[in-house]
Order: sequence, then C-alpha cells, then structure tokens
Amino acid sequence: MQVHLPIAEMSISAEIIFLVSAFVGFLSGVFGIGGGFLTTPFLIFTGIPPGVAVGTQASQLVASSVSGAIGHWRRNNVDIKMGLVMLIGGVIGSFVGIMIFKLLQHFGQVDFAISILYVVLLSSIGIMMLSETVFSKFFKKKNVRKEFNTLKISPFISSLPYKMRFPRSKLFISALVPGGIGFIGGILASVLGIGGGFLLVPAMIYILGMPILLVAGTSLFQIIFTTASATIMHAVFNNTVDMVLALILILGGVIGAQIGISAAKYVKPAQARLIMAIMVLLVAMQLSYQLLVEPSELFSTLVGP
Amino acid sequence: MRVFIVLVLLFVCVPVTAQDRVLTVDLARDSVDITTGFDGAHLSLFGEKNKNGDVAVVIKGPLKDVLVRRKSSFLGIWMNRESIRFKDVPRFYDYALSNSEDNILNDSMREEHDIGLKALRFKPEGDALDAEKLKTFSQALVRNKQAEGLFPIEARDIIFLSDTFFKTEFYVPSNVPTGQYVIETFLIDGGNVVDKHETNVKVAQVGFNSNVYMFAHSYSFAYALLIVFIAVLAGWLSNAVRQKNK
Repeated sequence: MQVHLPIAEMSISAEIIFLVSAFVGFLSGVFGIGGGFLTTPFLIFTGIPPGVAVGTQASQLVASSVSGAIGHWRRNNVDIKMGLVMLIGGVIGSFVGIMIFKLLQHFGQVDFAISILYVVLLSSIGIMMLSETVFSKFFKKKNVRKEFNTLKISPFISSLPYKMRFPRSKLFISALVPGGIGFIGGILASVLGIGGGFLLVPAMIYILGMPILLVAGTSLFQIIFTTASATIMHAVFNNTVDMVLALILILGGVIGAQIGISAAKYVKPAQARLIMAIMVLLVAMQLSYQLLVEPSELFSTLVGP
Repeated sequence: MRVFIVLVLLFVCVPVTAQDRVLTVDLARDSVDITTGFDGAHLSLFGEKNKNGDVAVVIKGPLKDVLVRRKSSFLGIWMNRESIRFKDVPRFYDYALSNSEDNILNDSMREEHDIGLKALRFKPEGDALDAEKLKTFSQALVRNKQAEGLFPIEARDIIFLSDTFFKTEFYVPSNVPTGQYVIETFLIDGGNVVDKHETNVKVAQVGFNSNVYMFAHSYSFAYALLIVFIAVLAGWLSNAVRQKNK
C-alpha cells in the first residue's frame, strides 16, 4: 500500500516500512536495544530525506524507551536523581545537536556526516559484539551482575566541581559527568536519530561507576527525554517530523517488540548476538562502500532557499 | 468513454469556436489532490484547433531555486565539494508535441516560449562562472530531475482523435511538488506561434495530509507534543499488554 507522507511529501510503501520497523522492534525486544541505528540508515536508504528520517525516528525511540523504562521502574531499577541530571545534559545536547544538524545541512554534508558517524559507531559495536561472542565460546564468563562497582574513579573526574550526592547509586560525583554523558547522548539523538544506549551504558558503568543493576533503567529513563526533546526540536526548528511515518514506525516497533520479548526465551543468546553483530557490520560495510567507492551519480540537487 | 468525452467536448466547444476561436483547450480536471493514498496522477488535456498547424503543450510547475552539488574525492572519501545555485528552476516540467521536435520547433520559438527541454536555460546565482562547469552542472540538474520523474526524457505524443480534436496525457509522480502549475498550449504553423492558450492546475495536499502539513507548519510545538504523546501512549500500552500476558 502506497502512503503519501504529508511532511516528507513523497510516497512510500507502508508495508515495507512497517515490516522493517517491526523487525527492528523484534530485535530490540530480543536484545534490549533501541534499534535507531538500524532504522535511520534504512529510512535514508529508501529515499526519505535525512532530516525527516532522523527527526521521525527519534519519536519512535520515545515509544520504545518508555516501554522499556516502565519495566525497570516497576523493579525499582532507576536512579531518578542521576537520570534527571543526565537528561538536563541530554536536552541541552539535543539542542546543540539540532544546531550541528542545521550547520551540516547548510554545508551540504548531512549525508556524509551521518554515514561516517554510523560507520564508526556500527563497526565498533559490531566488532565488540563479535569478539564478545567469539571469546565467550572459549572462556566461561564470570558473573558480572554485582551490586557495587569496584572500579576506581579517575583523579580527573573526582577533581571536577559541582559535586553531588546520588544516594541510589551510592555515588558522590560531579554533576558535570552524568550531565556530560547525557549531553553526548542528546547530540547523538538529534544528529543520528538514535537513543545512544550502546554508548551511554558503558559510559555509565566505566566512567560514572554506577551499579550495573541501575544502568539499563536509568539510561532508558533519560533516553525518553532526550529523544522526546530531539523530536520536538526537529519539529520546531526543521519541520521534519512526519506524523504518518511516525505512526507506522511506532506501530511496527511496538508490535515487533512484543513478539521479540516473547521470542527472547527461545533464542540462544550467543547465536543471536552473532547474527546481530554480522548484521550491524553489514550495515557498516554498506555505508562505508558508499563513502569509498566513486558513486555512479556525482551530482545531487536540493530545492529551496 | 473516449467517444463520450469527444461528444461532450463537441457540445461544449462548438458554440465557442463559432466565434472565431482558433484554439480551445480543456483539462479533464483542474486540480491534483494529494491524499494519503496518492500515488501519482494522470492529467488529461483535450483540445480543438480550427486551423492547420502543429500543437505543442507545455506543463510547468512553480519556480524555485535549486542547489546542484558535486561530490569529489577528499582523502579517499566521496563528499559534496562544489555547488552551483540555479535561479527559478521549474519544480516540474513536461511537454507534448504533435510532430517530431525538429519539425515543429526552431530556436527562436524555444527561446521565447520555453517549449522543449532544450529551451530551459538555467540561470546561475552570481556571475563569472566557468562556462564548461556551468554546462556540466546544468546537465546534472536535468539528469537528476529526470531520475526523479520531474523532468521528461523526451516529448510526449499528442493524439488526434479527428482532424481537429486532440488529446494528450501528462503524468505527475507521487513526489510531485505542490503549487500552481501552468499549462500552455501552442498552435504552431510555419515556424510561428499562431495561437496560444493558458490554463492552470493546482497541485495540493488535501484532507488529512493537508491538515497534518498545516498543523506541523503553523503550530509546530503543539504538533511535536502530540507526536511525543502518541509515542509515550504507545510505549505505555505496549508495556501494559506485556504485563497482562505475563
């Protein structure tokens, strides 16, 4: 079924977009990822302008992070104070991200910047997942679910001002650190249309030294707000959030995630991670191919001011 | 159906042509409505001519500036490096001819009436641009527009239903830009335009699509809040369903 998007002003095949977002939703149900890093490049690949792809995908991430965060909230695994400090940074970051996006648009480098950032991010995630899968075949993994992190905080971080107490995480740390991590998450949400969980989670464990139990819930909690703020900023400053596309993406994502969560019980984690890693690397390879090989059409046109 | 249309046209046109009108033209419809299910549309034009000569029809979309960019390799990576901005390029252009292009058109006519793809001259912003570069970029502009289906590859045919009645059909693709379109019909004899007729077509989003567009552009903050609200609701519902199934 062809559907005409009122903001993108083009027709798309609703089934294809729905199936892809359901598939990514399925993966997010199985792996607990947001999946923006798969949907956004796909949307751009189908010819949807990068601005609309990024802005609209951000709204789908609001739905998936709300759904995920509620579960963690019920189990009381959210450090609200930490989340609030992070989301202040996140909202500022999403604003800065929009400005960066506008600047890239002005210089005609949006596609280029998005591609190159994705190549860097996706290939590092892919290689990380792949090596984890390969190593876990040979080494028995130790139990990493510990309540307290014994990691030593670097002297630079403990020297930063505006120290704050975070009772839930049992941390006394400068507010600039979680704020800064949120800030980077906000930029990623606005520029790439991703929640950035894969970057926030390790940062919260290794830089903040948060208890691992609280990390997923807290990062999802703040991703709700950064992606919501990225959605609002894209709509207000760029007019690039397409309601019809958003509805298809949200519906597909929600349905896919439901199936994914039920299926997660039957999926062997190591196998699934391997498939996921290969998929992520394939997307990265496709994007780098476009950057490195001379395109058949060197020229592109842009209508407007 | 065709016979019926011809009959209707006969009925409508004959009294008018009696008053010395050389060229009469009418469109099957005077607007293209872009609804949610819009997937391109055909635009039929019917006409009658009362003099010898060939017919040319030109359809032109609204004029807008177009930025043409060229990628080149920088440190082994292909990225946009050069650009030229062209002024007042029609967002859509197509034309139909009743005879082969060389038989009908000459350069002065192309120049004066913008008939045919070769007639389109793209004015770059700023001057003192290299002629060779300008030509490459102009050609790239046409090529890109053709790939999008917004410029023609070649002229469409005009079909004569009788000696005097003719018909042609344009196609606007699903990505057709909105705005006021001008359709000009020319009667050409011996290298001169004998008569000219002009009509308009409005291409616009209607109904739900139009409402969404207006809402998004006039009240962008409220529009964004609504979308975020829908997303939060969907996320919450999704979680509620999961809890129930547990």
